Amino acid sequence: MTRHFLYPSTMFASQQPAEVTTILGSCVAVCLWDKYLGIGGINHYMLPTWNGMELASPKYGNIAIERLIERMMQLGCPKNNLVAKIFGGGEVISVSSSGMHIGERNIMVAEEMLSAKNIPIIGRSTGGNNGRKIIFNTHTGEVLQGYIKSNLSR
Amino acid sequence: MENQTSNISDDVLLTELSRRIERYKNAVDNLNSMNKQLLELNQKLAESEAMKSHFISNITNEIINPFASILGLSKNITECPDNDVERMKRMAAMINREAFNLDFQFKNIFAAAEIEAGAIQPIVSVVNIDELISSLMDQYTREIERKRLRRVITNLDSQKPLLFRTDGDKLTIVLSNLLCNAINFNRPDRKVEIQYGRNEAGELVVKVIDEGLGISMENQKIIYDRFRRLDNGINSINRGHGLGLSINKAYIDFLEGRLELESKENEGTTFTVTIPESQVESNDYSDEANEVFFGGEEIF
Repeated sequence: MTRHFLYPSTMFASQQPAEVTTILGSCVAVCLWDKYLGIGGINHYMLPTWNGMELASPKYGNIAIERLIERMMQLGCPKNNLVAKIFGGGEVISVSSSGMHIGERNIMVAEEMLSAKNIPIIGRSTGGNNGRKIIFNTHTGEVLQGYIKSNLSR
Repeated sequence: MENQTSNISDDVLLTELSRRIERYKNAVDNLNSMNKQLLELNQKLAESEAMKSHFISNITNEIINPFASILGLSKNITECPDNDVERMKRMAAMINREAFNLDFQFKNIFAAAEIEAGAIQPIVSVVNIDELISSLMDQYTREIERKRLRRVITNLDSQKPLLFRTDGDKLTIVLSNLLCNAINFNRPDRKVEIQYGRNEAGELVVKVIDEGLGISMENQKIIYDRFRRLDNGINSINRGHGLGLSINKAYIDFLEGRLELESKENEGTTFTVTIPESQVESNDYSDEANEVFFGGEEIF
C-alpha cells in the first residue's frame, strides 16, 4: 500500500489504497471516505477561514474542506456516498490573540461546513490539550490514532 | 436582623447586577470588534477580486508580450543574411532574455498553483548554499548590469562552502523572488547584496539587501497579499504579477522558517529569510516512531 505523509496546508486523495499519516496540534484534519467505492481523501488545515490576503491554499479550513470535497467528486465519488471523520483542534498552543481558541474554531468550521454539505460525521476525536498522530487508510476508511504529549505537533 | 439580611442581599444584588452589566458590555464589545473584523474581511475580499482581474491583465502582458517577441525575433534570425552573425547573436541574446523572464514567471505561477492545490511536498537534500546563491546571482547578471548595480555576495559562516539540509528548489524560488525585487526596485548605480550564514540556533539566515526607495510602513502590511503590486499603474516600470511574496510566505511557512523585512524610505530594504535545517530524512515516509505514539491504540 502507498504511504503518504501529509504536511500541514496540504491535501491527499487517491483511488488507490493508501495509508496517510499526519500529526495534528491545533490543526484539524477532515477525512472523507466513500464507503461504497472505498476511496478516501484527507486534508490538514491550520486556520479556520481564509484571510483574503495570502494564497487561497488549504492552509485554511473553509478552502481545505471545499477543495477536498471537489477532489473526491473528481475521483468519481458521488457526494451522497461521502462520510467524514474529524481529528485535531487541540489547544496545544495558548489562546490566540483574536480572543477565541484556534483549535475550537478549526473544529467549528469542519462541523458547520460538513453539515451544510450534508456529509455526516461518523467518527471524531477533537479538542483536548494533546496533539494527535493519525493514520488514515483511504480504502477501509479506518483511522488509527495516538496522542502525543510533547510539543512536536502544531 | 431581617433588615440586615435584606441589605446584604441588596449589596449582593447590586454587585451581581454590575458584574452582569460588565459582562454584557464585554460581549457587546467583542461583537463590535468581530463585526469590524468582518467588515474588513469583506473589504479584503472585494479587493482580492479586483486584484485578480489585475492579475489576468498582468499575465497577458507578462506572457503574451514576451512570446510575441520570441516569435518575431526567431523569425528574424531565420531570415537573417548568412554573413550577419553579429546581428543573429544579438537577437539570440534578446530571445534568451525574454525566455528567462518567462521561465521565472511560469515557475512562480506553477508554484502558486501547487500551493493553492495543497500539493506541495518537501524535496530535501544537502544543498551547497554558496553554489545556490552565486548561480542565482549569475542568472540575473544581465539585469544587474543593465542597472549598473554593484553585486556583493558575503558568506558570513565559518563553513565554506556552507552546506545545509533543506529543500533547495523552494529556497531558490524564495531567493529569486527577493533578488528580482531587490534588482527591480533598486536605483541605478547602487548595490545589491546577499549575505548568508548560520545563526546561533544553527538556522540558515539569508539577507537580500537593496538600496532602493524602501517600502513605507503602510505598504509593508500589504506586500504579502496575493496579486498585489505596489505599483499597479499601466506605465509601471516594474514587471511582475504580484505573486512572488505571497509564494515566499507560503514556502517559508512550509519550511517552518520566518521572513522579516526591514526598510527605510529612501535608504533601501532588507529581507531576511531564516529557515531551520530540515529534519526530513528523505522523501520516503519513515514509520519508526510508531511504537512510541501508539501506546494506547484507538480505532475510529
